[in-house]
Amino acid sequence: MSTMLEKLTINYPYFFAVILLVIGALTVLTRSSLFKKLFGISIMESAVFIMFIAAGNIRGGTEPILNGHNTGAVYINPLPSALMLTGIVVSVSVNAFALALIMRLYKTYGTTDADRIAELRNEVTDK
Amino acid sequence: MFYLVLAISSGIIGGLLVAAIPKDKNRMRKYIVLIFSALGAFFCWRVAAFVFSGESVELSIELGSLNLYIKPDPLGAVFGLIASTLWLFTSVYSFGYMAGKHKQRTFYAFFLLSLGMTVGVAFSGNLLALYLFYEMLTFSTYPLVIHERGPDAMKAGAKYIIYNLSGAGAILIAIIETYSLAGKLDFTGGPILAGLSAGGLNWLLALFIVGFGVKAAIMPLHRWLPAAMVAPTPVSALLHAVAVVNSGVFGVLRVIYSVFGHELAGQLRISAVLPWIAAFTILAGIIIAARKDILKQRLAYQTVSHLSYSLLGAFILQEWGLAGAVMHMICYSTLKITLFFCAGIISELAGETRISKMKGVGPSLPVTMSMFFAAVLGMIGMLPLNTFWSKYYLMKGSVAAGNWILALVFIASGIINAACFIPIVVNAFSGEKVRPQSERGARAVLMLAPIVILVVFAIIIGLYPGIVWPGVEAVVNCYF
Amino acid sequence: MMSSAAANMPVLVVIAPLFTAFVLTTLARRIRLVEGLVVFTGILVLIGSGFLAADVFNKETALIYQIGGWPAPWGIELKAGSVGVFFLLVASFVSVPVSLFSVNNLSDEVGGKERTARFYVLYLLLCGAMYGMAVTNDLFNVFVLVEVATLSCCGLVSSRNRPRAAEAAFTYLILATLGSTLILGGIGFIYIITGHLNMGFVHDELNRIWQSEPHVVWTSFSFMLVGFGVKSALFPLHVWLPDAHSTAPSPASAILSGIAVKGYLICLLKILYNVFGYTLMRAFAINTILVLAGSIAIIAGAVLALMQTELKRRLAFSTVSQIGYIIMGIGIMNTKGLSGTLFYLAGHAVAKAVLFLAAGAMISASGRKKISELAGIGRKMPVTMAAFTVGSLGLTGIPLFSGFVGKWYLILGSLESGSFFPAVVIIAGSILCAAYLFSVVRVAYFEPAPDENWKDPGLAQKIALIVLASAVLVLGILPDPFLELAGRAAEELLALK
Repeated sequence: MSTMLEKLTINYPYFFAVILLVIGALTVLTRSSLFKKLFGISIMESAVFIMFIAAGNIRGGTEPILNGHNTGAVYINPLPSALMLTGIVVSVSVNAFALALIMRLYKTYGTTDADRIAELRNEVTDK
Repeated sequence: MFYLVLAISSGIIGGLLVAAIPKDKNRMRKYIVLIFSALGAFFCWRVAAFVFSGESVELSIELGSLNLYIKPDPLGAVFGLIASTLWLFTSVYSFGYMAGKHKQRTFYAFFLLSLGMTVGVAFSGNLLALYLFYEMLTFSTYPLVIHERGPDAMKAGAKYIIYNLSGAGAILIAIIETYSLAGKLDFTGGPILAGLSAGGLNWLLALFIVGFGVKAAIMPLHRWLPAAMVAPTPVSALLHAVAVVNSGVFGVLRVIYSVFGHELAGQLRISAVLPWIAAFTILAGIIIAARKDILKQRLAYQTVSHLSYSLLGAFILQEWGLAGAVMHMICYSTLKITLFFCAGIISELAGETRISKMKGVGPSLPVTMSMFFAAVLGMIGMLPLNTFWSKYYLMKGSVAAGNWILALVFIASGIINAACFIPIVVNAFSGEKVRPQSERGARAVLMLAPIVILVVFAIIIGLYPGIVWPGVEAVVNCYF
Repeated sequence: MMSSAAANMPVLVVIAPLFTAFVLTTLARRIRLVEGLVVFTGILVLIGSGFLAADVFNKETALIYQIGGWPAPWGIELKAGSVGVFFLLVASFVSVPVSLFSVNNLSDEVGGKERTARFYVLYLLLCGAMYGMAVTNDLFNVFVLVEVATLSCCGLVSSRNRPRAAEAAFTYLILATLGSTLILGGIGFIYIITGHLNMGFVHDELNRIWQSEPHVVWTSFSFMLVGFGVKSALFPLHVWLPDAHSTAPSPASAILSGIAVKGYLICLLKILYNVFGYTLMRAFAINTILVLAGSIAIIAGAVLALMQTELKRRLAFSTVSQIGYIIMGIGIMNTKGLSGTLFYLAGHAVAKAVLFLAAGAMISASGRKKISELAGIGRKMPVTMAAFTVGSLGLTGIPLFSGFVGKWYLILGSLESGSFFPAVVIIAGSILCAAYLFSVVRVAYFEPAPDENWKDPGLAQKIALIVLASAVLVLGILPDPFLELAGRAAEELLALK
C-alpha cells in the first residue's frame, strides 16, 4: 500500500493524465451539447499531451539547449515536447473544423444540442 | 480440345445470343435455342466418343497456383451425354409448352446458360472447376425457378438460393481442406486422398456429402425441391428431375470415387451410416409422395426417392453398386423427364393439376397417358423398361455388400411406387366423364413427340441393355 | 538519374499528391485544369508505385528512405517493403478511377466551382496520407498521417451542402478524434517504455523488455486496437460509417470505404507485426481477440446490411462486415492467412469502390435512394448495373472474381492453424453477403421498371466503372503477381519475432 502511494506521488503527471483522459471521454460520450463534446475531445488530447511531456521530463535536468557552459549537464528529452507541438497543432485544426461544423449546424437547426438536432432531423425527414 | 470448349460454350453463347435479340423475335429465338442445344448435344457426343475410345481431351486455365482443369472421364462423359441429349428434347417440348407465356427471352437465355453450366460440371477435371460450374449452375437456374414471379415463386427462389449456397459453402471448406491435405485437386491419377490415413477424414466426407447432398436432395436437405415445383414444367422436368439434381448425385459420385476412392471411403466410420440415410430417403420420399394430391408435388417427392437409388448404389462401395448408380442416372432421367412432360401436358391441354380431378383424362389424352403408364412401369422397375436393369444392378450390389435389407428396400420402394402411380393411370381411363380430344394442334405435337421418342428409347434400352452397358462398364473400370 | 528516382520514390509518392493539393487551391476557378491535374497526379503516382513495386519485387529487399538524410533512430524513416508496396499499388490504382468518376460529376453534388476545387484538395490530401501510411516506418509519423487522413475524410464527408452532411461529419470528427487520441496514447505508452519511435528499433527494444512491463504493453495494445478500430469501422465502433456514407458524395464514399479504412488497417497490421511481433501477439492472445472481433464484425455487419432498405447504407454495413474479414485475417498468423488477408484487402478495395461508384451513379440518375425504388434500373443503365454486378460477384467470392482467391487463402490459413471456426464464419459471411448484394441485383434486373428517363452516366464515369470492374475480374483470373507480392509481404511480417 505504501509503495502504491509512493508510485502515485512520483508519477503524479500520469495519474492526472489518466483522470483527464477519463473525464474527456465521459464528456464526449455523455454530454449532448455539441460544444461540450468538443471540450471533451480537447481535454482528452490535453491528457495525452501531458502524458508525453511528463515522460520527457527528467527531474533535475536542464533545458536541452547547448550554450557552451553546461557540457556534462543532464538535459531533459526534447523529443516529446517537439512531438506534442505537432499534436497541439493537430488539436487546433480539429477544434477549428469542429467549430465550423457547429456553426453550420446552428445555422440550420437553430440549436447546438445533439439530441434536439436529432429530433428536428427526424421531424424533417418524417414530413 | 476444341470440342470441349465448344461443348461447354454452345450453351453459354446460345444463352447470351438469346438475351441479346429483342423480345418479339420469337421464331428466331426458337431457332437459336434449337440450334444451340443441338450443337451442345453434338459436341458432347463427340467428346464422349473421344473419351470412350481412350483418347484424352483436356483444357487447363491457370489462376495463379490454382487451376481450372477440364478433363472429362467416362463418368463425366456419361453425365454430359445425359444432360445435353435430354436438353435437346426439353427444348422441343418447351417450344410447345411455353407458347404464349411471358418472359420467354429470360427463360430461354438462362435455359441455354444452364446447359453450358451443367456440361461444365460434367466435364470438370478438378474440384475447383467442379465448384465453379456448380455455383454458376445455381445462379443460372435461379431465374428459371422464379419465372412465374408470383410470391410463391419468389419464396421458392429464395429457398433454392439459400439451400444451394449453404451447400456450396460447405463444399468450399471441404475442397480447401482437401487441397491442404493432398496438395492437388485433379481427378486424374487416382483418388485425390488415396494413401492418407482414415482418422480425422470423417468430417471431411460428411462436409462433402452435406454440400453436394443439397442438390442431390438427400433428406433432410431436400426441402427446396418441392418448393421449386412452382417453376414451369420444362424447368421442373429438366433441371429438377435431371440436370441440377443429377449434378448433385454426380458430385457425390465424384467425392466418393474420385476424391476418396472406395477403399479409403470404406475405412471411414461414416460410410456405414450413409447407405442407411439413402435408404431412409428412398422410403420416406415415396411415402410422402403418396400423400400429395398435386401431381407435380408427387413427382417431386418421387424424384427425392429415386435420386437416393443412385446415392445408395454409390454408398455401398461395390462394383455393381456403382454400375447400378450410373445406369440408374441414365435410365431414370429419361423416364422422369417423360413423367414431368406428361404432367405438363395434362395441366396445359386438359387443365388439371390435381390427381383427384384427373378422372377420365385418359381418353382425351390417350398418347400422353399411355406414355405416362410406360414411364410409371419404369419407375417401378419393370421390364421392358430400362430401369429394370438399373434396379437389378443395384440389388446385385447390395447383396454383394452383404446387405439383404437394402435389396429389400429397393423392392419395397417399387411396390410403393406402384401404389402411388398405377391408380392415377387407372383413374384416368375409368369413369364416364367425357372430355374433348385435346391432343391436337402443333403445340400438342411439339409436346408429345419428345415423350414418345423417349419412351421408345427407354424400351429399346430395356430390351437391349448392351447399348449403354459399355459406357457403364467404362465408368466402373475407372474406379475398381 | 533512374536510380535516384527509384531511391526517392517512397517520399515522392507521398509528396506528389500533397504538393498538387496545395497548388490546386490557387487554381480554383479553372475547374477543368483542376480535374485534369488530379487525374494526372493520380496516374503519376500509379506509375511511380508500379516502378517502386517492380524495384522492391526484383531486389527482394525493402527500400529505405531517410527523410532529410537523418538516419534512424534520429530521423523519420520510410520503408517500402512488400506490405507497403502492395498497399501503395492498391491505393494508387483505386484512386485514379475514382478521381476520373468525379470529373464533371461533382458540381451538382457539391455545388459551385470553388467547393469542387476544395473537394479535390481534400481528396489529394487523403490520397497522400494513404500513400504515406503504406510506406512509413515511424510511429509518430503514423499518428500525423492518421490525423491528416481523418481531417481530409471529415472534410470530404461534409462537402455536400446539406444539414445531414454537417451532422454526419461532426459525429465522424468527434469519434475519429477520440480514436486518434487513443492511438496517440498507445504510441505514448510504447515510447515511454522503449524510448524509440522507429518501428524496427521499438521492436527490438520491446522484445527485450516486454516481460517486465506487461501491463503497459497490454494497455498500449488495447488503446491502439480501439483507436484504429474506431477509424476502420470495426464493429461495434462503426456507428459513424453509415451516416457518413449516405451523406457523402459517391466518389468520397468510394475512397472512404475502399481505401481510407484500409489504410488504417494497414497501419494496424504494421504496428502489430512490426512493432509488437508475433511472439508478443501470441503471448497476449491478441490473435484470438482479433479472430473473435473479426468474426463478430462479419456476422453483425452482414445481418445489419440485410436489414437496410437504402442502397448506400446497405453498402456501408457491407464494409463493416468485410472489415471483419480483414481483422480476422490479421489474427490468423501464418503465411497463407496473411497473404489471403492482403489479397482480400485489395479485392475489397476494388470491389467496394466500383459498388459505391455504381450506386452513386444510379442514385443521382434516378433521385431515389431506396433499393425497392431502383427496380428495373439494370435495363435502363446497363453499364452501371453490369459494373455493380461484377462488384457484387467479386465481393461475394465467386470463383473467377477477386474475392474468391482471398477467401481461399483465408480459409486455407485458418485450417492450417488448426482452427475450424474462422472458416465457418467466412462461409456464413459470404452467404449473407450474397443475400444482401444479390437481392439488389435481382431487383435491378428482374423487376419491372417505372417509365423514367434513367440514363447511364457520361464517358469519364463509364470508363472509371469499366476499369474498376475489369480490375475485379483481373484479380480473380490472373492473381499470380499480386498473390506473389502478398505472399512475400506475409513472410516479411512473420519474419520478425
